[in-house]
Amino acid sequence: MAHIALATGFILILIGLYGALTNRNILRMIVSFTVADTGVNLVIVAVGYLRGRTAPILDATLPAAEAAARIIDPVPQALVLTAIVIGVGITALMLAYAYKLHETKGSLDIADYRELKW
Amino acid sequence: MVSPIFIIAAGLGTAFLLGLLRDEWRAAAYGLTLAALAGTAAIAGGWLWAFAIDGAAPVEILTAGTPAPFAINLRLGLPEAALLLLANLTGLLSAVYLKDTLSHLGRRAMAVLLIIVMAMGGIILTRDLFNLFVFFELIVISTGGLILLSAERHALGAGFKYLIVSQLITILLLIGIIFAYHAAGTLNIDGMAAASLVMLKGGSLAFFLIFIAVVAELKPVPANGWALDIYEAAHPAFSAIFSAAVASASLFAVDKLLLIGGPAWLPVATAIGIISFVASNLLALPQTNDRRMLGYSSVGQVGLILTVLGQRDILGDSTLFIAGGILFSHAVAKAGLFWLSGLVAGRNLQDWSALRGQPLLIFAFVTFLAMLSGLPPFPGFYAKWELIHLLAGHGRLVLLALILFGALLEAGYLFRWFGYIIKGEQPTEVIVPARHKLSVAMIAALAGWALGYLWGGLSAHNNLLQTLPLLFALGFLLLEWLPAWIKNSLAIAGLVAWFILGYPGYDPLQLIFATIMLLGGALILMASYHAQGRRVGFYPSAMLMYAGLAMLIVAKDSFNFFAAWELLTVGSYFLILRGKHSEPHALSYIVFSLGGAFLILAGFALAAQGNSQFSIEALRQVAQPLAPWVFVLLAIGFMTKTAAIGLHIWLPGAHAEAETDVSPMVSGILLKAGLFGLFMLLMHMGKQQLYGVELTHVLMWIGALSALIGNLLAIFQEDAKRLLAYSSIGQMGYALFGLAMMNHLGWLMALMFVINHYIYKSMLFLSVGGIAKRTGTRLMYKMGGLITLMPLSFIAVLIGIIAMSGVPPLSGFGGRWIFYNAIMTAEYRLPMILIFLSGPIAFLYLFRLIHTIFLGQLKDEHRKIKEAPFWILLPQFIYVVCLMVFALVPGLALRRVDAYISQFFPQGALNWEGLTITSDYGYWSPVSIMVVVGVIFMTLFAWLLFVNRKAQKVKQFNIVFAGERPFRPETTHFAWNFFAPYRKALGFLTQPLVTGFWETLTDLLHTAADVARRFYTGNAQIYAIHFLAFVVVLFLLSRGV
Amino acid sequence: MHFEWMMIPYSLLTLFIVVNYGLLLTALMQKIGARVGRRYGIPIWQNYIDLVKNYGLRSSITHGVMFYLGPVFRLSGGVGLLLFVPTIYGSVMFSNLSFAGDLILALYFVFFGALGMALGAGESGHPHAAIGVSRGLSQMTAAELPFALAVFAVALQYQTLSITEIVAAQQGAVLHWTLFTNPFAVAAAMLSFLGSMMRPPFDLVLAPQEIPIGPPTEYHSSYLALMQTNRVIFPIAKIVIYMNLFFGGAASWPVFFLKVFLIYLFSLFVGVAFPRFRVEQSIRWFLVWALPLGIVAIVLV
Repeated sequence: MAHIALATGFILILIGLYGALTNRNILRMIVSFTVADTGVNLVIVAVGYLRGRTAPILDATLPAAEAAARIIDPVPQALVLTAIVIGVGITALMLAYAYKLHETKGSLDIADYRELKW
Repeated sequence: MVSPIFIIAAGLGTAFLLGLLRDEWRAAAYGLTLAALAGTAAIAGGWLWAFAIDGAAPVEILTAGTPAPFAINLRLGLPEAALLLLANLTGLLSAVYLKDTLSHLGRRAMAVLLIIVMAMGGIILTRDLFNLFVFFELIVISTGGLILLSAERHALGAGFKYLIVSQLITILLLIGIIFAYHAAGTLNIDGMAAASLVMLKGGSLAFFLIFIAVVAELKPVPANGWALDIYEAAHPAFSAIFSAAVASASLFAVDKLLLIGGPAWLPVATAIGIISFVASNLLALPQTNDRRMLGYSSVGQVGLILTVLGQRDILGDSTLFIAGGILFSHAVAKAGLFWLSGLVAGRNLQDWSALRGQPLLIFAFVTFLAMLSGLPPFPGFYAKWELIHLLAGHGRLVLLALILFGALLEAGYLFRWFGYIIKGEQPTEVIVPARHKLSVAMIAALAGWALGYLWGGLSAHNNLLQTLPLLFALGFLLLEWLPAWIKNSLAIAGLVAWFILGYPGYDPLQLIFATIMLLGGALILMASYHAQGRRVGFYPSAMLMYAGLAMLIVAKDSFNFFAAWELLTVGSYFLILRGKHSEPHALSYIVFSLGGAFLILAGFALAAQGNSQFSIEALRQVAQPLAPWVFVLLAIGFMTKTAAIGLHIWLPGAHAEAETDVSPMVSGILLKAGLFGLFMLLMHMGKQQLYGVELTHVLMWIGALSALIGNLLAIFQEDAKRLLAYSSIGQMGYALFGLAMMNHLGWLMALMFVINHYIYKSMLFLSVGGIAKRTGTRLMYKMGGLITLMPLSFIAVLIGIIAMSGVPPLSGFGGRWIFYNAIMTAEYRLPMILIFLSGPIAFLYLFRLIHTIFLGQLKDEHRKIKEAPFWILLPQFIYVVCLMVFALVPGLALRRVDAYISQFFPQGALNWEGLTITSDYGYWSPVSIMVVVGVIFMTLFAWLLFVNRKAQKVKQFNIVFAGERPFRPETTHFAWNFFAPYRKALGFLTQPLVTGFWETLTDLLHTAADVARRFYTGNAQIYAIHFLAFVVVLFLLSRGV
Repeated sequence: MHFEWMMIPYSLLTLFIVVNYGLLLTALMQKIGARVGRRYGIPIWQNYIDLVKNYGLRSSITHGVMFYLGPVFRLSGGVGLLLFVPTIYGSVMFSNLSFAGDLILALYFVFFGALGMALGAGESGHPHAAIGVSRGLSQMTAAELPFALAVFAVALQYQTLSITEIVAAQQGAVLHWTLFTNPFAVAAAMLSFLGSMMRPPFDLVLAPQEIPIGPPTEYHSSYLALMQTNRVIFPIAKIVIYMNLFFGGAASWPVFFLKVFLIYLFSLFVGVAFPRFRVEQSIRWFLVWALPLGIVAIVLV
């Protein structure tokens, strides 16, 4: 399972990157990046997943003494949560930029924004 | 002490608080922002004080009460505190600078500003990898927000490009972090280092991903197109933060990562750094947009610091001192320049001429310029000194060469920029900087000086800001409001006093140079009484040069020598730049001089073998096979100052275009600094052989060629000052030749030329300057017949050219006589041929000088001009007296030196008994010659007066002209292209081959840079591909490592 | 050596002899030159007549101070050059004022007159004068080079810069002359000699028919007379240096007269056979033909 998830994650990342680099439309690029982000999150979770273990919640069924041997490492999951939040922030910012860019030139083609160069 | 966690908490808290305020309370919000930033800066400052002064130990802050790896921990030590202070102060000053913009945009913009400063604090403090990622993302988001501060409409595009690349960086960083965690089982940086992550399975790849992602934040070439666009488009106050603070924080993050990577990754960091440094300085050459150029420069400086971090294996304990020196110089200067750029309306480099007429702003600009170029007394100078010495000590010579090359490129475009400011077209509108913006820039400038003082104190060397001559020169900055004549009197008094103070300590050689440089300098300054008004900028520059000279001749170790060398170079550059059309020449002067200085630095470093303390005396002990290389480096360095052939192209323009009283300073005095260096070099290192070639023999040829080519080119000049300038090249060639002969009389001859050249060249430059002032031109063919109108100038020039040509009975003959005696024992005879040829050629230009100006036909427009001004004439006649005295009793100056030289070359000393000077080969009696010639001349003159007593002066056109009257003076005055046949006869020797060579070289650099920069197409996707390609290539290379 | 008052009358005696010999010698040379060209030529005393006439003429014209001083410089240069060099070897009477300096003094004092003269000519404001000076200086730089090398070679050969000692080293036999001991140096020097004698092919300084008489164009009456006096002294003074350095010097006046005549004749010899060079041609000629000889001389010593 973990390997499939891992592979899927990487495939998603590659798809996202491919999309971001080949699509000239800014919105499509943003979408591609969210795909890649999802892939990254998947990879993180997949790496942190341990087969046959339980959720890292300490309660009656899971005494603290046994916890280390029975739970899945919670850190990657915490990381994913943070990463998702940040990803949302950045995506929102990019969308805002896309809106502003469209306002100035009426175009969403990334190739139209090349005034700054060399 | 306030817990450093408050640095983060205060920023974050205030940012949230701002969100609660009402939109209308802008002033309150702004006040709150400033208060928060000031508060955090104060906390950082307090900690810095604790670490630096009280010697407190670094503190760990455990955020959740448990130690790592169970919670995120922060660490605060000395470097962290310093960086925090830097980040917070930059943020605070930028916030002050942004007063209008922030008030206009409201509390949200202020919150974003607070967030970015807070995020930098986080990056600096955190020891947790994932935490690092979070703060980086905060930087990304806040950068994306702050870019919008700019009024520039292209800023949006730049911001979006940045977001795209940062998405890629995020992906790499996250994947890297999770795999690193997977391998090491911790997110703590120190924990990973302890577990030696790179040794673990998959750890190396994970580390690579993290490393590359963080390095990408440093905008390494070539994956940095987006960053340059941001620098170009963003608001300068934001660029200041972005360049000064964010880059510093990112560098610190890389430094932490290198802890995990271990020594194996140091070369990678070095390679990325040095490529960025050299390439971006090269690419900056053809830039015309100021902010983009500053962007390139930022990338370059950060690359240099990365290189330093990569060299920590050899730098050891000095890493902090070196990296800090460069980092703080860069940060303060770059922030300052970005702030200044906000005051200039136009974006073209030429538009900066708007700064002219604003002494404060120019002072700030010069401070930043000097800091970036690593000039004394700023931290970069001390850091560069240590760095180069350590690199040389460990044999990393390629890296050393690349660093110096990149630094030279950077100095080149920075000083060119400065030239535009001082000499560009008169600005159409005068800028009136808002008071708060001006204060921000000035605070940065003062911080630069403070850092200079600090680093001087931290260094193992002399703190340059505590040396009296330098302080005296800088003191004139505070006296700029005084009229010129008061400052002039002060300057003269200072020079004389310093001479008297040092007099007991000078050995005879130093005494000769001190007399010329200090007393001689005071004498030339008498001509400066002629200047009217306040003459802003003249005295600090001139006295900086004299301070350098005064320190140079007494320097005991290589550090002081080099520092003095740089000071006099910079001072003279500012002096030369004051001339009306001197901008391109001053630039080539400073580029050649800095190039030469870098060679000197490399030479000393090589000789010192890693010890940064190295006395000049120790040059004697430099071992083979290093010694000849040290010799070559130092000799070339010194020869850039004496303008030996091949390195001379800066001189004619620089000397010719300088002001009337500056030309004699830079010609009569400054050139001697190079000779002094060569004296020192030869005195201590003696003869050296490289691949069997005797290096002094090579110097002899260079001297002879300089003498020939200098003299030869002088005869074709129409411009009187250029003529004199070329003649200096020739005269310095003679002196170099004498030195390189390596015998007693050769050295004496060189000294004779030192004295003579000072006297007659200063005198002639003053005369010609006075004439140019009256006639309004320096072109000799436009003058003519001035003898009756300017008789005193004529007498001075006449005496000057007789002395210079070496015709008895004046002092130039003594030089020639010693020369002939010296070559009797010289080991090599062939170079003499060139010297013999160049001797008579001097007559050609000297005659031309006096003839075309004073003799021949007077022009109509000059019929009413007056004699040169009194203050310009006065020193000339003091020189006439000096020449006469020196012609009659040369022993006065030379006798002691002759005895002094005997300790190096016991053979061949002269005998000074009585009136006749005797050598092993011949004799010479100056007084007898003078008397004999005088008596013969007076007798014949009396005879002519007797037979021809009724002669009356006739009118100008009363000449034998086929019974006709000549048409006009212009057509009758045979003056233009006076020696035309000579050019025809000598062919290639008169071609500007050397100039062509250097021009081609600079063209090549510019063209290469211009082609290469097209790599940055401006397309966001292409930039993304650059980044991915950079990652892939680096990955392949690091696998290979 | 020290100054003694007796040196003054002795020097004046030398001067007197040389002036008279020079007046006759230059006329003789003129005459020989004319005969080669199948003309009758001037009478041998013509120079005396010219000199007396010119000193007798009273001018009321000057172009300025330097113009006035030019001939004084010129003649001082000639007289000084003569007196700084010992004329007769071994004679205290005719060693003149050579105590003041050695060979180098003589070498550089040559320029004293030329420079002063050029300045005077310059102030006359006549373009031909300036053209003449330009030509003269240009040619001189190239012509002096082989001579300087030859002098250096000779000084190296005898390890002294004192003229007296150089002459002394050549005594004993004709084969001791530098002419035989260092033929390359002498060859170089003699080619250089041609350049300084104002005769074809190197006479473009005065260049009759082109720039009437070049630098002295504006000079007349007693100015000209001073320059004419120099014209008879200066070549001899120069030849004395050549004689001392290369041809064994002269121990008596008859030998002196003979050697000076022969050396002078050499320039005439070449002069009557060749047409005039342009400046660039003469510069190249000296660099191509005379310079290598000089180089060989200093390399071989």
